[in-house]
Amino acid sequence: MEQVLQVLISGILSGGIYALASVGLALIFGVVGLVNFAHGEYLMLAMYIAYWIYNFSGLDPYQSLIINLAIMAVIGYITFKVIMERVLDSDHSIQMLLTLALSMVLQNLALMFWKADYRNIRIDMTNDTMNLGFLTFNTPRVLAFFIAIGASILLYLFLQKTFTGAAMRAISQNGKAAQLMGINIKRTYGLAFVIGTTLVGLAGLLISPIYPAFPTVGASFSTLAFIVVVLGGLSSVPGAIIGGLVIGVVESFAGYLAGPAYQQAAYFLLFILVLVFKPNGLFGRS
Amino acid sequence: MIKQLILKQHLVLWVIATGSVIVPFFLPNRYFQDIAVMTFLWAGLATSWNLYSGYCKRLSIGHAAYLGIGAYTSTLLYLNFGISPWIGMLAGGVISAIAALIIGGTTLRLKGTFFVLSTIAFAEILKVMTITSKDITAGALGLMIPYQPGFANMIWQGKIPYAVLTWIYMIVVLIISVRLEKSKLGYSLIALGENQEAAENLGVNSTRTMLVAFVMSAVLTSFGGTLFAQYVMFIEPTSVMSMGNSINFILLAIAGGMGTAFGPMVGSFILTPVSNLLRGYLAGISGLHGLILGLVLIVILLYRPDGILPQLKLLFRYLFGKFVKPGKGE
Repeated sequence: MEQVLQVLISGILSGGIYALASVGLALIFGVVGLVNFAHGEYLMLAMYIAYWIYNFSGLDPYQSLIINLAIMAVIGYITFKVIMERVLDSDHSIQMLLTLALSMVLQNLALMFWKADYRNIRIDMTNDTMNLGFLTFNTPRVLAFFIAIGASILLYLFLQKTFTGAAMRAISQNGKAAQLMGINIKRTYGLAFVIGTTLVGLAGLLISPIYPAFPTVGASFSTLAFIVVVLGGLSSVPGAIIGGLVIGVVESFAGYLAGPAYQQAAYFLLFILVLVFKPNGLFGRS
Repeated sequence: MIKQLILKQHLVLWVIATGSVIVPFFLPNRYFQDIAVMTFLWAGLATSWNLYSGYCKRLSIGHAAYLGIGAYTSTLLYLNFGISPWIGMLAGGVISAIAALIIGGTTLRLKGTFFVLSTIAFAEILKVMTITSKDITAGALGLMIPYQPGFANMIWQGKIPYAVLTWIYMIVVLIISVRLEKSKLGYSLIALGENQEAAENLGVNSTRTMLVAFVMSAVLTSFGGTLFAQYVMFIEPTSVMSMGNSINFILLAIAGGMGTAFGPMVGSFILTPVSNLLRGYLAGISGLHGLILGLVLIVILLYRPDGILPQLKLLFRYLFGKFVKPGKGE
């Protein structure tokens, strides 16, 4: 019982990070209609940025949060301007392939500049634990969970309560009608893309004290984020949050019951089951 | 007249395809002969991929799964039961066909993005299964094929026999591809790629058409998997089933011209040698080779999404066009 509870909560803690890594993808997909295979690469970049800032100035990832996120926003904006903006009207498959190529470029750039070595940030907090009754948790993971869920909820409130958020929702429902109502489509697209990359960057930053950075670290997060987003009903932000938690728990239990090698297989299997039986996602509108 | 021109263009491409077999005989050493083998093999694989995804415009990013099924089936049969890889290749094809029927049956009806993601999911599951069933597949350690030359073992000394074999593979896939283009199935497939609803309204049975093409594509890819295993003589899950392989099929097909019979071959003839030579010369800087390929892909997608083949055709028309009067609408 104790162990099951520990596994469950540890799954929920990872799930929070997955949720944060995925809400950006859901937003980009919902608003821009773009399937971004390079999504995880922004997480990788943020991890490296956190690493280098820590190495050069001694600022730990939490202290360098604002700088890091600002850099991520700029990188997101540049990608949008240089590449994505040109293919907004193109075929879906062209867009997808372009983001695949982009992920290839970013991964290999990282490999070129920073080699394939694992780079760890070892701050004082890395090995700290928190006790909750008979359960023990790693402090950075707990912190990451709460910041991640907080940020995801902020995004949700932004979409619900602000004018720009309403504009984004309008575009995701009907782009043409939204444009006729006077919404600047391109600017909103750009903003959604920038918010998406910044949020996945935040996820990268939060895991940097507990997870090493290496050039292909983003790839597994990309596929994971896709699965989360599909579970959540593609363009739904609350769906992505719940989907992230579900995947975290599934992965955690698969690892506990069948061994770590099966973690990935478990959520891929869940993914296919959902696609076949509930193609609109577990929480999607039909 | 225009039909003649098209015929001539095809003729030129056929001459390039068939004539390429002599190239390996003139290459000075094993290094360049190896590149020739890889060029033919990848040309065949990319053409196989194109058979479904290219014509139908629905991307499969999981075709490495069939490459893996082909490679592992023939290798396991050979190592455990001494069954000749020639038979193993056919067995791999049968298993791939069954896998494609199951996978296609469940996922082909999914809409664009969902279909793409499901192909990745299946390939990843298969990879994980291969890694974890250590008793059968030796897991991540991989399988080594012992060097016992002989026709029955599909193992030869030197590279030339492999070059001829992979060339035959490429030609067979090309013939199938060209014939498909002119068949009812091919027309239906292209129509589905253009506009699924319209095609269905005109009486195209979309499920059946897509499933047949998907299975054909998977089986031909699987044959290539056996050739790969027999040539490299060592397979492990990530070398055959990684997403990188699937992406390479797409890269070659896109570069040459997706949805055309000869496009993937042209893509492989240009990119595989370039990529291999780059890898050789830039070995000191890891990542540079992948970076260049990624940038090439981005440039092609942004500026020439139809690939190189249409450009070559224009060049051909420019060079020889004055002998042929252009037809209407040209």
